[in-house]
Amino acid sequence: MNRILVAVGLGVLTPVTLIAGVAIGSVDVSAGDALSVFLSRLGTGAEASPTADAIVWDLRLPRVLMAMIVGGSLAVVGVAMQALVRNPLAEPYILGLSSGSAAGAATYYLGYLPAFAMGMLSMPVAAFLGGLLTITLVYGVARTDQGLSVTRLLLAGVAMSALMAAITSFVMLTSPEPNRMRAVLYWLMGSLSATRWSMLATPALVAVLGSVVLAGLSRPLDALLMGEEPARALGVPVERMKHLLIVLAALMTGVMVAYSGAIGFVGLIVPHAVRSVVGVSHRVVIPVSLVSGALFLVWADLAARSVLSGQDLPVGIATAIAGVPFFLMLLRRHRYPFG
Amino acid sequence: MITDDLGRSIPQIDRAERVVSLAPGATELAFAAGMGSQLVAVTTADNYPPAVQGLERISALPLNHEAIVALEPDLILASDQINDPREAEALAEVGIPTYFVSVGSLPDVSRVVRALGVLFGDEVAAGQYADSLEATLQALDTSRRGDADRPSVIFLIGDDTLFSFGPESYVHDMILVAGGRSLTAEMSTEAPVLSEEFVLAAQPEVLLTAFDPDPARLVELHPGWEAIPAIRDGRVFRIEPDLVLRDGPRLIAGTLAMRRALTAGS
Repeated sequence: MNRILVAVGLGVLTPVTLIAGVAIGSVDVSAGDALSVFLSRLGTGAEASPTADAIVWDLRLPRVLMAMIVGGSLAVVGVAMQALVRNPLAEPYILGLSSGSAAGAATYYLGYLPAFAMGMLSMPVAAFLGGLLTITLVYGVARTDQGLSVTRLLLAGVAMSALMAAITSFVMLTSPEPNRMRAVLYWLMGSLSATRWSMLATPALVAVLGSVVLAGLSRPLDALLMGEEPARALGVPVERMKHLLIVLAALMTGVMVAYSGAIGFVGLIVPHAVRSVVGVSHRVVIPVSLVSGALFLVWADLAARSVLSGQDLPVGIATAIAGVPFFLMLLRRHRYPFG
Repeated sequence: MITDDLGRSIPQIDRAERVVSLAPGATELAFAAGMGSQLVAVTTADNYPPAVQGLERISALPLNHEAIVALEPDLILASDQINDPREAEALAEVGIPTYFVSVGSLPDVSRVVRALGVLFGDEVAAGQYADSLEATLQALDTSRRGDADRPSVIFLIGDDTLFSFGPESYVHDMILVAGGRSLTAEMSTEAPVLSEEFVLAAQPEVLLTAFDPDPARLVELHPGWEAIPAIRDGRVFRIEPDLVLRDGPRLIAGTLAMRRALTAGS
């Protein structure tokens, strides 16, 4: 029953969110104007003013789509990491994965790394490598003979975040390309403001591939939640599974960070809310988190870009304001059950 | 006691012999006030007037306190555009007074030149310099012109990230005197980063920039901007950044440059 309600709810919310996303912003465009832009673009012969067309079609729509791609991906990565460490506090931002990716991306962008002969993909690759390095270290530190230590995990995440932020600051202040510094500063806070149509393909591909792979792993992920020994008993190749999850989380987070900066807490808030409604089965949690994360980030971005007239605030500010109290609340709970 | 532009009190100084400037704008104001020969050090960013070339250099961002103390100055000049008054408190602790200048409008330029001349420099030379600045401004003043005859203007500092000027800036005054109407005078923050859609919806007739004014590049960076009148009509003009960003006497030259840009092709 719950699941049907959720499906209907998301089915209604998705178009509403899409329309709100293109109709609301730092300047006013009427809903009618926004609609006529779509109609004229669909070739119905409707007339739209060039200004409204440029705002809705060239600036807002790609931004809304990017918010959906990034939000959905981060939520799904959150689900994967929480299954990996068997703790609901795991999240790409909190465990340092986002900072590591940002450090990798900034190091490349500010002229410190060769282009890997990959052109446009160099920055996502640099972000992926930075994230992979960070999360591997954090995970390695948190491992004990009795399984993962959550305290160590969170502390190692905090420490690695700080180190990666320091590296980012260092490359910013000493960059051979100082004129790019302010742009990086803005982007580090997590911003979707400069999204273009041409940027959507790579993150969309990664988001789809990553989500499909994770959805395919639903059963082994369910088994992992019960613990490594039970999972092994059920025939899950636990070690390989863990490596795969780490690489997948780093890949998805790295690519998203390369395009939108480090946006925190989506992977914390969304899976938690989703589990409280639909339970813990990954077969349901993964697709619902994907869609919910997508919608969540569009609304967070809407909040960020309508607070100040004529200006965009980085969306990372909005997600942090929403996410940190949530995180603290979860920390205060004596025991947080999965489900 | 003397009171500076920020209302801070500093001890009376008979004649400052060793002056350190912590901001390029303050340096230029000091030269205009006849204090050039009293300056011993300026910031690493200073490039005007040419006489600064022979002076010691210090880092202003971040402020190198030790280098300043080692120069044994009897007065420090600072600008509220660049420097933080709290840093001046640290210097006051070691007995070095800091005088802050604040240029918030064009008339402020000649006012500050006169004040510095009276307090620390050459009163007569400063007065003459200020008179000539005021005469130049008067000659080009268009303030009686109605709004209808004024092209709407946005000044952009960055082309990718759209840094611009907030409500308290002197830039709106420059644009007004030059014959335009600034569209960012009502922003809610002092160092706004404009959204792309704000610029689009504002429909500026002229874009003044601190960067290479290539409309094709702007459209490439900001899709949809071809619908902006300034870009459609090719009215994008670069103003030498120092003439706008340095809060000193060269703002008058910057205003002249804006006037030339606004009259070009109209």
